[in-house]
Parts: sequence; C-alpha cells; structure tokens
Amino acid sequence: MTDDGNHVTVRLYGPLRQAAGGRDVQLEAGATTVKDALAQLAACKGSRVADMIFDQQGAVWPSLILLVNDEPADLREASSVASGDVISILMPLAGG
Amino acid sequence: MSGDSSPKAKRVFTEEQIERYSRQLLLPEVGGEGQRKVLAARVLLIGAGGLGSPVGLYLAAAGVGTIGVVDSDRVELSNLQRQVLHATQDLGSEKCLSAKATMEGINPDVRVVPLSIRLRSENILGIIADYDIVVDGSDNFPTRYLVNDACVLAGKPLSHAGILRFDGQVTTVVPGRGPCYRCLYPQPPAPGMVPSCQEAGVLGVTAGVVGCLQATEVIKLILGIGDPLVGRLLLYDGLDMTIRTIRIRRDPACAVCGDSPAITELADYEEFCGLRAAEEIAS
Repeated sequence: MTDDGNHVTVRLYGPLRQAAGGRDVQLEAGATTVKDALAQLAACKGSRVADMIFDQQGAVWPSLILLVNDEPADLREASSVASGDVISILMPLAGG
Repeated sequence: MSGDSSPKAKRVFTEEQIERYSRQLLLPEVGGEGQRKVLAARVLLIGAGGLGSPVGLYLAAAGVGTIGVVDSDRVELSNLQRQVLHATQDLGSEKCLSAKATMEGINPDVRVVPLSIRLRSENILGIIADYDIVVDGSDNFPTRYLVNDACVLAGKPLSHAGILRFDGQVTTVVPGRGPCYRCLYPQPPAPGMVPSCQEAGVLGVTAGVVGCLQATEVIKLILGIGDPLVGRLLLYDGLDMTIRTIRIRRDPACAVCGDSPAITELADYEEFCGLRAAEEIAS
C-alpha cells in the first residue's frame, strides 16, 4: 500500500525493547515483507538491535518469534505486510 | 500428616482440613474430589527462586501433597527482593531447605522433598519420574532445554515460564497434546543476546505475578479443569500492564517432539546453548 498513512509498526518485547529504547517502532518507508521491515528496523535502530535480529550471515535468528497481527509469520514464505500491520518480535526469557 | 499417603488415607478429611481448604472446597471445580486430587498430587519445582517461590507458596497452601524442590544454591541477600520463600534469617542456608521449612510451615499436609543437586542429563529423568507435573522456574537456558526435553521424553506435563525486568512469558507443555518449548524456540539465543535477571534486573513483583500464573496452571492440570496454556504463549507486560496470549503450534520438525525427532536421549546443554564456547572465549 502506498497511501499517505503508510506505515508498519514493529512491537518489541524483552531485551529488544530495551535495546531499541521503546516498545513500538513505526516504519515509514513502507515495508512489504516481514524481512523488509526487520531490515528497516535494524537500519534505524543501530547495530545492537541489528545483531539481536540477524546473525552473521544475515539470517533472522531462529530464537526469535515473529508475529504479524498476532499470527505466526513464516519468513520462508516471505510473509507480506501492509500498512497498519503490527509485527511483534519475541525473544525467550531465561530469568526465573 | 504426610502428603504422599495413599488415596485410602485421604478419603476422609479431618475437621482441620475442611476448615483449612474451605474456600476452595466451595468451588464446584474443586470440591472434595478435587481436593483429594490436590492432596495426592506430586509436583516438582525446578528452582526455589523468583518463580519457584510463589509457585511453592501457593501449591503448599492449596495442599499439594508432595512437592519436590530442586535447587543447589544458598540464600543470598540479593535474592530476598523477589524470592519470597526465603527470609533474612535464612541467609546462607540451602534454598531447598529454606523452601521446605517455609512450605511445610504453611501447611502440615505438605511434604517437601529437598533436592540440593544440579540437574544433569544423567539424573533428570530419574528425578522427574517420581512426579506428576514439573514446574520450570530455572534461571538459565541450558536447564530450560534440559527440562523441556526430559519432560517430552518422559511424557510429563511442564509449566514453563521466563521473566526479565517487567516481562514474563508462560506456557504449558503437555507432551502429545501440543507444542513444546523447542517448538516455540528451536534454538537458544546466541550467548550474551538475552541478559539474565542478574544483568538486566527484574522487578520482584514480575516473578510473583508470573509464578502465580504457573501455580494456577499446575492446579488446573491436577484438577483437570479449565483451558491450560497448551498451544498458547501468555505474554505479561508489567509496564503496559497487559496480558495477552498468542497461539503457538507444534512444529512437525521439532527436534524433540516432532514427527522424526533427532533427540532421543539427553545430552550436554551447556554446549548446545553456546555457553562452553563462550566461556572458552572469555577465559
């Protein structure tokens, strides 16, 4: 979608939220896939966030859970996103 | 009164038990039959820390007859902000013994089995064999994967939770009925990616809220009531004060509960979690 309100929101949980300095990040550039959105997030939030999302080969860490509007997103299927969608990124928590 | 007595011995409640459990005996979902199940239940707590404390307190108060407590640590001052099983007078004591004293002090119907040991691939299956339900309140990824895999291999229901800062995650694994922890997180994060509570902190109440959710799940499993968090991950956010659940699916390719599991016996989880390699790099 390319309307004037085009944005995708990335909602961060756990350590990623702390690293990015906030819960929600609005991507203004109009991502069309989850992977696009993650790349934009990494670009705008710096290397610490980028390292928490992508491994050295540029693949998304398998220890992340990705959701689009609370439904699991499958990167192998290049899950698409549209304006207004919310991508959630979850990480496991070890603390007890 | 011992908590591991035979069903026959628990057939009739004493006057004291009727009074002690009156508020939950009133619940149609519990009643006398349910309370007998609770008294006969055997639950294993992995960890007597932030999560294990509220779980242990509420399971003991509810009358869970036998509660095993695995923890090899001793009580430290920095524990007391959230580990409410222990008190200042317990500083330096073994946590599992402190936990036993507190829990049995709350309810003499409960027998607590202290296990001051480190869980390993070679001992965990023998330990969980004695229990109906396992509660993961550990504080590190190697133990979490070990506990998950052991429960899947042994077919034991598992209440899983993890916490950090103001956040918590809770799910319930019932092998054969839904996804396991590995379906959710096939691999642990790279070393250093997810800080511990020691590194990033945790609000004591976060442990309390999330541990109480786990205790609720355990009691539901014992009673066979309600809709446990099987196939769902509950997300608790104390800053936003929101609780929501997301659907999670069993992964047919899961290494331990999948259609063709690669894991058929337990192994070295420190290496799997990259800790040994990280330690070597650091040294």
